[in-house]
Amino acid sequence: MEITRTARPYWIALLALTAAMLLSILVGSVQISFAALVEALRSGAETTAGKILFSLRLPRTILVAMTGAALAGSGTAYQGLFRNPLADPYLIGVASGAGLGAVAAMSLRWPYTTFGLMAVPLAAFASGLLTVAIVYALAKVGRAIPASNLILAGVAVSSFTTALTSFLMLRSNGELRRALAWLLGGATMSGWQPVLALLPYLVVGLGILLTLGHALNVLQFGDEQAQQLGLPVTRVRRLIIIAASLTTAAAVSFAGIIGFVGLIIPHILRLLTGADYRRLLPLSLVGGAALLLAADVLARVLLAPQELPVGIVTALAGAPFFLWVLRRSRQANFWS
Amino acid sequence: MKRFSKLLLIIALLTGLLAACAPAAVAPTTAPMAMTDGLGREVTLTAPAQRVVSLAPSNAEILFAVGAGSQVVGRDEFTNYPESAVTLPSVGGSMGGYNFEQIVNLKPDLVLAAEINTPEQVKALENLGVTVYYLSNPTDIEGMYANLITVGKLTGKEPEATALVDSLKQRVAAVEDRVASTTAKPKVFYELDGSEAAKPWTAGAGTFIDILITMAGGENVAASMEGSWGQFSQEALLVANPDFILLGDAAYGTTAEQVAARAGWETIQAVQVEQVLPFNDDTVSRPGPRLVDALEELVRILHPELK
Repeated sequence: MEITRTARPYWIALLALTAAMLLSILVGSVQISFAALVEALRSGAETTAGKILFSLRLPRTILVAMTGAALAGSGTAYQGLFRNPLADPYLIGVASGAGLGAVAAMSLRWPYTTFGLMAVPLAAFASGLLTVAIVYALAKVGRAIPASNLILAGVAVSSFTTALTSFLMLRSNGELRRALAWLLGGATMSGWQPVLALLPYLVVGLGILLTLGHALNVLQFGDEQAQQLGLPVTRVRRLIIIAASLTTAAAVSFAGIIGFVGLIIPHILRLLTGADYRRLLPLSLVGGAALLLAADVLARVLLAPQELPVGIVTALAGAPFFLWVLRRSRQANFWS
Repeated sequence: MKRFSKLLLIIALLTGLLAACAPAAVAPTTAPMAMTDGLGREVTLTAPAQRVVSLAPSNAEILFAVGAGSQVVGRDEFTNYPESAVTLPSVGGSMGGYNFEQIVNLKPDLVLAAEINTPEQVKALENLGVTVYYLSNPTDIEGMYANLITVGKLTGKEPEATALVDSLKQRVAAVEDRVASTTAKPKVFYELDGSEAAKPWTAGAGTFIDILITMAGGENVAASMEGSWGQFSQEALLVANPDFILLGDAAYGTTAEQVAARAGWETIQAVQVEQVLPFNDDTVSRPGPRLVDALEELVRILHPELK
């Protein structure tokens, strides 16, 4: 009895993820009939339907699921780390840094080579990590890294990099839409290459975060208490920042800056299952993947054959959904 | 861990599948033709393309102008000319991304990309087994002629394209003859977007707008501007005092009355003599055959005395 009760949220989350994945594979601007589906499954990528399924929808579905898991997992860890309900994976500058790198790379002409074609995600990844490193260095006081310093340095550095990004966009002679779409999470790259490139960062980063559930629980008592309870606070903090930054930077490099997922998934799950980070972290991976997949399906069908940047959909649909959950929760102060 | 290894296995299997499913060779009806595109890629067609998807308005205009209109099966969202192109299915493009599913579903034997497309998009289409030709933007009228011939070759309409280029050249020569007979050089301000009246967007040196105004016997007052596109200070505009203001943003609802009502604009010569005129921006902003239409229209506006 006790076991089923603890296992139930996992089953529900996995069911939601499976449904979202099926929806994402089956729904698109091109209708694929059941017969064409069976034919595609039998003959592989030879038919048009097969090509659409195996070269477009399946890799996109997996990439979007991975991105959602990365953002929600990092967001949950950051909310725990900073003990702040407004924390999201972008809090200390990884997204604004990645945005600057991506837009800078877009303003140059790259040769048509493997390296040139990867220039935008590579620049986004490098500049996202570099920005976090700068914030980290600025926030450091002696050997300690106070959470409030990190947040303030993060906000200031983000403003600075965002201003540089805007300047570059205004100066560019080329396509503003591409940069804007990237910044709104509309960059979703196609094919298996991004999936394979993202995988190692996700496995390592999220793997580290998953082991830190207990540490995050202890951190909720405050830095001093946690220290007295034997938790190496600075080391845990550094580990979380490294793991979450690697994961987030890799995810946004291939998908653009998708807002809101990393903010609301931890809150929704906290409302549903309580504040135990040992449960919240794995659940948030599954929940984030499911939510982003659902948003991505909407982004594809709302204005078909046009595709909306998914970041617009996560905020447009996610915000009211989150407010509904917030209103339904009976707790007067759900963040405690 | 088990889930991840399973995922890896699936991915490995699928990539294997994809590699095994390279497009089957079609028996060539004519000799295969290889051309180098704007990205330096070698593009090989076994036969002239019969199912073309255009990814830019300029490409659609060129395809229809060289007589390959009936071979076009899809167009981007911005294409609005000629009318028969508008009825074709759209493959997106207005939000920065194209609908690759729709493109694959149209089974094109050629996708004609342009400079508004990114190399990443070209690569993604290439990975889907689609033949893509990336048509670079021309920087002068001669380059536009060359693009017409290129598209003619790709679609088996080279004679038609050559004939079109000849007639365009004659029309340009006729304009040049007329302009040579006058020494008057009216000053022109071309407004791309005047929603910020204190610093309207305009086109500087090197753009087709600048080139065509010069060819039509006018002077682009923003020719000294750094960068091709930019916001021109109203103070500089008052000093330049253009004889004509052409409203490229007329399509978005900007009118001569609105311009006259803008603070400080009433002192400009063009406003005083009521030479603030709407202009079809599509003809100058798209590097296609309609550039010559724009040139003739500009001469008619700037030099009504030349018949």
